Amino acid sequence: MRAVTLPEDPSRREHLRALVAVGGTSALGACLDLGADGDGAGDPNAVSVPSGTDPDALPERQHAWNEALPTDEHGNVRPPEHHVLVALSLADGVDVPPSGDARETLEAALRTLERAYERSNEGLLFTLGYTPGYFDRFDEPLPDDLSLPEPGPLFPGGDPAVDAHDAVLHLASDEAAVVLEAEEALFGDRETVNGVPLEADATAVFDPLAERRRTGFVGAGLPAEHTDVPGVPDSIPAEAPFFMGFRSGFRRSQATEDRVTIESGPFAGGTTQQISTTALQLEAWFEQDNHFQRVSKLFSREHAAADLVGEYGEALEASNGLTAERIDSTAADAREHGVVGHAQKAARAREDGEPPLLRRDFNTVDGDRPGIHFLSLQRTIADFARVREAMVDEELDVPTANDGIRHYVFVDRRGNYLLPPRSLRALPPANPDGN
Amino acid sequence: MRDPTTSEGIDRRTFVTGVAAGSLAVAGCTNEGSEGDDASEGGDGDEGEDADFEVGPAFREVDDPPDAVYLPTHREAMRTVDPLEAGDYILVPMLSYPHPFWLVTGGTGEDDVSREVPDDGRGVHLMFVLRDAKTDIVLPVEDGARIEIFADGEPVDGPRSPWPMISQEMGFHFGDNVSLPGDGTYRVEITLAPLSARTTGDLEGRFGERATASFEFVYDDAFREAVVGGVDYLEEEEWGRRDALEPMGNAVAGGPTIADYPGRPLVAPDGGSEDGAGPPRSGDAAVLGTLVESGNRFAADDPYLLVSLRTPYNGVPLPHASPSATVERDGDPIASEVPLEGAVDGEVGHHYGASLADVRPGDAVTIAFESPPQVARHQGYETAFLEMPPVELEVTDR
Repeated sequence: MRAVTLPEDPSRREHLRALVAVGGTSALGACLDLGADGDGAGDPNAVSVPSGTDPDALPERQHAWNEALPTDEHGNVRPPEHHVLVALSLADGVDVPPSGDARETLEAALRTLERAYERSNEGLLFTLGYTPGYFDRFDEPLPDDLSLPEPGPLFPGGDPAVDAHDAVLHLASDEAAVVLEAEEALFGDRETVNGVPLEADATAVFDPLAERRRTGFVGAGLPAEHTDVPGVPDSIPAEAPFFMGFRSGFRRSQATEDRVTIESGPFAGGTTQQISTTALQLEAWFEQDNHFQRVSKLFSREHAAADLVGEYGEALEASNGLTAERIDSTAADAREHGVVGHAQKAARAREDGEPPLLRRDFNTVDGDRPGIHFLSLQRTIADFARVREAMVDEELDVPTANDGIRHYVFVDRRGNYLLPPRSLRALPPANPDGN
Repeated sequence: MRDPTTSEGIDRRTFVTGVAAGSLAVAGCTNEGSEGDDASEGGDGDEGEDADFEVGPAFREVDDPPDAVYLPTHREAMRTVDPLEAGDYILVPMLSYPHPFWLVTGGTGEDDVSREVPDDGRGVHLMFVLRDAKTDIVLPVEDGARIEIFADGEPVDGPRSPWPMISQEMGFHFGDNVSLPGDGTYRVEITLAPLSARTTGDLEGRFGERATASFEFVYDDAFREAVVGGVDYLEEEEWGRRDALEPMGNAVAGGPTIADYPGRPLVAPDGGSEDGAGPPRSGDAAVLGTLVESGNRFAADDPYLLVSLRTPYNGVPLPHASPSATVERDGDPIASEVPLEGAVDGEVGHHYGASLADVRPGDAVTIAFESPPQVARHQGYETAFLEMPPVELEVTDR
């Protein structure tokens, strides 16, 4: 794992990002033509990144990514740069409950990826999650203590589309060619991954839904490289890793992987994942609000008044700087200052001071407009609902325009997923203990 | 396609020196005949026109305006679209040229007010007034509306959420500056969320559903000539004088007077406003209060303290402030810093209020403002309603 990304030509990085967004064989080919094959050897037909290992040696938690990712000088985990969410539906001919053959085919394909790519940002990280609709196909319900509801609107009056497909595969890597190659190998016509031949045909199990494919990127400087996209203003801070212009994912503001892991029952070692696909109103955010207002709305009024954040969050180090006192004063701040911070509000959902969500969100320009695929992991969907309620809180005495970032975020699509432990990731039954 | 817009100057006199009112009707006919051209130009803009493109009139500043409502430099011209019905709502959209406005976050610090300066690009200031379809009451409350703009079925802007705003001519409305890629016909889609504000009287229990509305407008030379040419500059010696422009016709409702409110009026022991004629003011906002006896439509069983905060001159309600009430009798505290919650009533419209169990004639009521109205302002309102000291009132026995 390297800790620092070497500077790259911005136009090249932007080109790679665009190729991930397009996807497919030709995008992968173009990626390799650029010499972006992982090791820079320039082989026009081969991705070359660190190899994987025996899958049996890998953690049971699909979501155990933190150990495989680099950290910055403050101990904050740095997420992979390129992301693809592949929406999947069960292929024709796959029965429910699925046959042993179907499970083995899918598992064999996934294990090939694990043998081929190092499980890291330099190789490939992935998770496979299943929707409530998938589990509804089974006669038996999910275990009693596992609740996986369909998602509702994030904000009152919202009317998001709901992910109604069966599963989503989240692929992530610092190498554009890796996410493209892994996707093409599973669902396209690529026959090798990092030089390793694929042994099983995942399309016998899943059909990828091209119109539901989502992509994105995260990293210092990447948002500012997208000012050619309509709705992305030139005034985005050059160093910001996220479209909202500030760092996030601070170590002490994130749930630990332990905190989001299901502890008991047949899916112990798994977690739940929610994905909200949002559009952002960045022109108002960067060109109408000033920095003081942005900090007030994203963090808290006190963050702005005491200048705790810096230009893009660089002054915050390992936490978002919210003390218990600031969190408790949210309602009072609403009346006294006419504004509350997004982080301040959401932090009220902490339990014993511990954040309940592990955010793995990333920026997107899918649809040629700026947005965030807000992806979070939490032990239960109820944990997420609690944060959402803290974020919406209609009792706060502020207009929506000053109510955190509600004025700037539009939720178009939502999905809830169960990420089973690795041993159950291939077409799990709804109640493994009951079968 | 028929152009749904109609001409609506702020003041018909502006068209004497500006563009003849009839030209808009002509523009409508022309557009009917050249629909194809509009469609082809809508999506991609025409950069060749940029050189001599006139965005709007020069933005004139007022030197050292008072910390109060003042006369701006000009009256604006705009086009009013036919009102749209959407569920429980009526929307009245209006279009003008992009112009500066001020956002408020807080109100007392130097960074709390930011000035929005339009881009040099072409576009409109898009606004709408929201009313209750049944009572015609203006709904001056944030509703998290979502606006998207399309040309030839393709999105060209948004989603965006408009700002809650006040202007002297328009009163309370929602609006924003929107850049457009070029001349053409644009379709605006507006989605309204359920109303989160407290409602009373005939409005109670309504606005629970989301509602959608859409309209089209033509952006072209005729539009620009009308809204830019229709601008009417005031005499320069009037700029900054403490007064307000007359509100324009059908889009704005003046507030009810104190006599229109139920209950016992609260009066200022010292006589009210500086000239002693009107209600007391705080930060130049007029503060009207009444005490409504129990058994009213506002509160379950107790008397209700009702406070209307509005602009002077035009009586435009000022929502999204945080007022509180402290009551004393012969110097003894009866109630301390009770938050007054915003609400919209079917008869008296927007106000603030709270139930107060034991308040009597003769009691002293202090209305304090923890934060001033968190609404964006057009020119002439941006220096008022920011620093808002408490107002002393007394319950009368009338």
